[in-house]
Amino acid sequence: MNPAAIRIETPRLILRPTAPEDFESWAAFMADADASKFVGGPQLRPVAWRGFLSMAGAWAIQGYAMFSVIEKSSGRWVGRLGPWVPEGWPGKEVSWGLVRSAWGKGYATEGATAAIDWAFDTLGWSEVIHCIAPDNTPSQAVAQRLGSRPLRTTNLPPPFESMIVDVWGQTREEWHTHRARVAS
Amino acid sequence: MDLRTVRLQTERLLLRPPAMEDVDAWARLAADEETMRHLGGVQPRTVAWRNFAFAVGSWHLQGFYGFSVIEKASGNWIGRVGPLQPEGWPGTEVGWTLAREFWGRGYAFEAATAAIDWAFDHLRWNEVIHCIDDDNQVSMAVATKLGSRKLRTAQMPAPYEKMVVDVWGQSRDEWLARARERSSTTERNSTTKDTKDTKEKQVQG
Repeated sequence: MNPAAIRIETPRLILRPTAPEDFESWAAFMADADASKFVGGPQLRPVAWRGFLSMAGAWAIQGYAMFSVIEKSSGRWVGRLGPWVPEGWPGKEVSWGLVRSAWGKGYATEGATAAIDWAFDTLGWSEVIHCIAPDNTPSQAVAQRLGSRPLRTTNLPPPFESMIVDVWGQTREEWHTHRARVAS
Repeated sequence: MDLRTVRLQTERLLLRPPAMEDVDAWARLAADEETMRHLGGVQPRTVAWRNFAFAVGSWHLQGFYGFSVIEKASGNWIGRVGPLQPEGWPGTEVGWTLAREFWGRGYAFEAATAAIDWAFDHLRWNEVIHCIDDDNQVSMAVATKLGSRKLRTAQMPAPYEKMVVDVWGQSRDEWLARARERSSTTERNSTTKDTKDTKEKQVQG
């Protein structure tokens, strides 16, 4: 499978793999203290560069990683979400993180729904998790809307070993039950 | 560019973009204290994996990064050598990092020579630099042998902002002049090649 050919459309969003033109928006997102609060904190541009290319590299070596999220109406990059399983991760995650101007529109739920479908249907996963900080109430609400529930608490592996997260999630069978309700 | 077609050959080494099968050897190198002493310290496997993904991503989106270096005789991955210019980097670098068991055989010089040729030919760089700790004698010897000299000092970008390095390097013109000299020497000495190779072996990393 050639990652460059992967493209998922939802009513308002396009999900596609990381592309070079996304970096400026990615760096601005990672520099924003509010937006990056629950993904390790604000990053200087050279650090954001490394994370950005690690995402591109994960696409190349694993065949999946978080999608760049493009808002159809404007064509702008509004965040990244999707499957994320770096070495040592506590499970097969579908994660989401959007720029502040894209909050409050239901984009995270809309994009994550498409990404979870893709993870179960195309990647063949049997469970999906979401690592969420205990004080990240907006993401807990998204997880709930997706039908996930808190499963356990864990430390993340280095370089995030100081972060303790709640692991939310659900099985493929549960998703099939929830899917119709989430989509409506 | 189809990355599968990017392959450089030297007498003893094959240089190609990193592939998934290299990740275990990459992580072992990242866990070796002596090798990582001048590179920000040892990394747990989960961090090494992220840096490996970063290297692969650089090849895919930027079009270059360090090559995986394979020893032809054994097929072993012995390290990474090649061009890199991450965001905020103090210049266009050709760097080298070899696993410790492959030091002292002239491999860093051999691979870096091929990588510098490639950087000037294919990336059209005007200058090549090497960021070297001021107590890394082994790498300074490699840089000197490549014909580079100490140009300036520089602070590295985050997450290495605590590191101040010596920036060694040379211009494209200097490299090409030396390459011409080298090839004419090789022609003159082609009958005594074995002797020359033996002399080139030295301690390096």
